[in-house]
Amino acid sequence: MPGTVREQVASPLDTAADRMLADRAADGDLRAFEVLVRRYGPLMRVYATRVLGSNDETDDVVQESFITAWQQLGRLEDGNAVKSWLMRIVSRKSIDRLRVRRQHVNIDDTDAPAPERTAPHALAEVESQTEALARVLAALPEDQRRCWTLREIAEYSYGDIAAELNLPTSTVRGLLARARKTLLREMEEWR
Amino acid sequence: MTELTPADRRFVTFDLDDTDREEAGLNGHTIEQLSDYLDRGGLPADPSIDDSPDCEIALRGLERLRRAQLSLLERDLKRESLRNDSWVASVLENISLEAHAGREIPLAHSSPTARLVVTEGAVRGILRETGDRLENILVGRCVLVGDVSVPGEPITISVDATVFPGQNIPAVAEQLRQAMYVALGKYTELVVAAIDITVSDLYTAPDASAHEQER
Repeated sequence: MPGTVREQVASPLDTAADRMLADRAADGDLRAFEVLVRRYGPLMRVYATRVLGSNDETDDVVQESFITAWQQLGRLEDGNAVKSWLMRIVSRKSIDRLRVRRQHVNIDDTDAPAPERTAPHALAEVESQTEALARVLAALPEDQRRCWTLREIAEYSYGDIAAELNLPTSTVRGLLARARKTLLREMEEWR
Repeated sequence: MTELTPADRRFVTFDLDDTDREEAGLNGHTIEQLSDYLDRGGLPADPSIDDSPDCEIALRGLERLRRAQLSLLERDLKRESLRNDSWVASVLENISLEAHAGREIPLAHSSPTARLVVTEGAVRGILRETGDRLENILVGRCVLVGDVSVPGEPITISVDATVFPGQNIPAVAEQLRQAMYVALGKYTELVVAAIDITVSDLYTAPDASAHEQER
């Protein structure tokens, strides 16, 4: 039996704490789950798009992540941690995608999407720095971008990144240092 | 590549692979160390960093990178938030409500060959909705404690709830308990020995910025 989108009526659930929503969703409450989807879906989409280097597969990855989340919510012990738990799921799904993709094509061919255009920003300079960063991030080698994104968007520790990517912590440290230097240098060049 | 360009105060364009040259350009430090220093809010103060013009320029670069990082995330989040809702519908259409059905609870039927059950998930749904119909309280996790598969076996129900501020908590909890007894009596044959309500939290009134993606 599929769920449906309810009518948009303001409800205390919309602003309820994560733990309440996670608990209710674990009990099978679709409405509470929908609030979580709306609350953290955008961040998960940003994350997946960054890691995958394009948004072609973002819909699929985020959808799969939420399906997994729905099935496994009962195992989440602390509902307050639902945000980082969701980020962990989307991160695994994104990395799985990359692995599958790597088996099929040369990763360089699918790298480096063109940064997307958006509405003008109040601060032109901030906007241009932002655009520059988006471009440089997209052009980073895949392993560096993955570490950087786990660190900056999923807020993983070095140890968590190492565990997630099955790499020694020293390697993760090196990749992050390199990514940071490249970003710094490129942004200086651009300035 | 590793020369200072003092004219416009840019910092060392360091060699990505050569830590020695990086340290030479940053008063013995690395970009990674400076980044950690920035993460720590410049504490404890390190004069070899604070008093170095090269480090200062590098720190400014790191701060600029951090600001750009933040505004990029904000921009992307805003774009995702403004997308049309179809992806939410698509997520919800693809999940299976049966995942949370739980145990089966038998219901009596006049025909000896018929087997009627209500799922534990459905009972939890009844309990939640009962709470949602009341003002000033939100029902969280509901647990049916006991062997629900044996008709007539007394069970207890444990309910987690959030109460809105300014309410008389015992009174609101009692109101919820009574409403739940009524609902259970109407829709199930469960013998409920007790409904334990734990008010674990107060509902925090939403303000404009509440529950935006924090960062």
